[in-house]
Amino acid sequence: MNPFDDPEGTFAVLVNAEEQHSLWPVKLDIPAGWRVVHEGTRQSCLDYIDQNWTDLRPLSARQDPDMASASR
Amino acid sequence: MGSLQSARSPRCVHDMVAEQAARTPEATAISHGDRRLSYRQLDADADALARRLRAAGVRGGSVVAVMLDRSIELMVVLTAILKAGGAYLYLDPAEPAEQRARILDDARARFAVTDTGTAPLADGIEHVLSIDEPAEAAAAEPGLLPATEIGPDSPAYVCYTSGSTGVPKGVVVSHRAIFRLIDTPDWIEVRPDDVFLQITRVGFDVSTFEIWTSLVKGCRLALAPSGRADLDEIVKTVHDEGVTILWLTSGLFHKLVTHHLEGLGTVRHLLAGGDVLSPDHVRRLLAAHPHLTFTNGYGPTENTTFTTCWTTRRSSDNERVPIGTPVHGTTAAILDDAMRPVPPGEWGELWVGGDGVATGYLNKPGATAEKFVADIFGPEPGRRMYRTGDIVRELPDGNLDFLCRADRQVKIRGYRVEPSTVETELLKDPRVEEAAALTHTDGAGDTRLIAYAAVSGLAEEEAATFGAGLREKLAAVLPAHLVPWAILVLPEIPLNANGKVDRGALPSAKIPRNVWNEYVEPADDLERRLAEIWSDALDVEPIGSTDNFFELGGHSLMAAELLAALQRDFAVDLPARTLYLRPTIADLAEVLRQSEGPGSPESTQEVEDATSR
Repeated sequence: MNPFDDPEGTFAVLVNAEEQHSLWPVKLDIPAGWRVVHEGTRQSCLDYIDQNWTDLRPLSARQDPDMASASR
Repeated sequence: MGSLQSARSPRCVHDMVAEQAARTPEATAISHGDRRLSYRQLDADADALARRLRAAGVRGGSVVAVMLDRSIELMVVLTAILKAGGAYLYLDPAEPAEQRARILDDARARFAVTDTGTAPLADGIEHVLSIDEPAEAAAAEPGLLPATEIGPDSPAYVCYTSGSTGVPKGVVVSHRAIFRLIDTPDWIEVRPDDVFLQITRVGFDVSTFEIWTSLVKGCRLALAPSGRADLDEIVKTVHDEGVTILWLTSGLFHKLVTHHLEGLGTVRHLLAGGDVLSPDHVRRLLAAHPHLTFTNGYGPTENTTFTTCWTTRRSSDNERVPIGTPVHGTTAAILDDAMRPVPPGEWGELWVGGDGVATGYLNKPGATAEKFVADIFGPEPGRRMYRTGDIVRELPDGNLDFLCRADRQVKIRGYRVEPSTVETELLKDPRVEEAAALTHTDGAGDTRLIAYAAVSGLAEEEAATFGAGLREKLAAVLPAHLVPWAILVLPEIPLNANGKVDRGALPSAKIPRNVWNEYVEPADDLERRLAEIWSDALDVEPIGSTDNFFELGGHSLMAAELLAALQRDFAVDLPARTLYLRPTIADLAEVLRQSEGPGSPESTQEVEDATSR
């Protein structure tokens, strides 16, 4: 099974400089340019992402306050 | 594989259109029947409408729903939304209201552009602007444009896909991603005198290629008739407009090659894709039009229209039409289940990276982070890659070979089966225009492969014979587990609004009997009732009096179920061997007739006797 699909696996939430989030199985090495902000079950990671990643645009494209409401 | 280097830095699409308008103001930008719109007019009209949108509150990243039929005005509206800093979300007015409502609910758009006719469809949206109404005074105010807050990473459109789970997801695509598709494509040569046909729904992301390549390269965008055009109309439009660059979704491509091969005389470059393509149809196309260039364009919406393209003038010997190599600005990795690259030639899942990777799924951060993940192979740190869910391999010549969606792989009798293999094989028959294969699980939990073939011009009574003939052909070339249990021949296979096979809409009705003995109609009420019970258990109809239960696809588990049903209906207790000894309705009816006086111990005994004779 692909580690991304493992319902029992331990996952991390990675964030890059553009504040984009990525689900990440802890058994894989963390690629350059990403840092861990959360770790836990698959669901707890997805919940964390849903609560914390409120504007999907890369940071450099978030110049207008209207955006946040559009992409929420 | 793939490259990311670009000589030019990404731009916003509307800026590129405006620059083109300044270069060739008098050239025709868009044509629709007798109507023409010059580049100058396109730019001016779009500016005027963009001011109205700004005055209504549209700002960088605002999602603007568009409900208009295909028209010159629609193209102006799309350009205007980009100029205003918004992202367009196209909703087909012809689409079922329920589908539209689900998308609007998910997208939470606060703005919509309609005409007088489609305005009621935007009911409930905060700001609705009708293009038939005169501009408000505010729109004339200077300073509303340009939208300075946006850049290449701002969203340009939202395109909804139903995905494999059926839950609609809005893919948000940035200007940067469109730029990567249209600015310096390395798989097509676009000339200023080219004529593009705008034939796909704007809600289908191939329209990105059609509309914006044409308008930033100074070509003419010829609009196909509104609504779903028939084959003759399309051929006529291609001819009348002198279309030189044409995209056809695979179903339409197969039909056109079968029926109107001569109608493609003006076309210089034909692109097809969206579903499995038949190598034989590509071969026929290139043989009939030796000067034509052909592209098989592959890619999920999440990587902006095309991920890989196979551009050629010669057909390939591969059993499937190759999908080619990553397009400019795109990387691709074929990975195994442990996220390691597979050796060349081996099957694996395709993961893609580069500037075409979409921003994500609108209002769905979790779903976005599941599919768009940290790129382990890209040359730059901190980039993301998208998981396509498609199974591919690298051919010896470097082209990619697409097998199927990972989630369409099924197991039949322990074998891993790719329904697309069957589809490709069916399409080899020159009369088959479209093919679909899917699995059907019966009540006993048995999974069978059922195939559908679209063949036009067959009389209804010929269809079954034709299907049986196709099945025989397949049996001669495919391993047994890949031979469909039945092939249903239909005049047409249902396509979704994007022209792809709508697998969910295929008739799930019972399968026609596929045995060779002549059909004998059940003789009386008892036989008719038995035929009904068999039909329900086997999912086959009609069932003849002399058809053999096991030849119809029955097996021991089903036999037990059937006997239980007979017991309920006729209050008789039949031993299991009855069905093995007397596997036809006529025989079984005879046993039941002899048993009379239902339920009495004697009659059961008689049946036992009868079966042991």
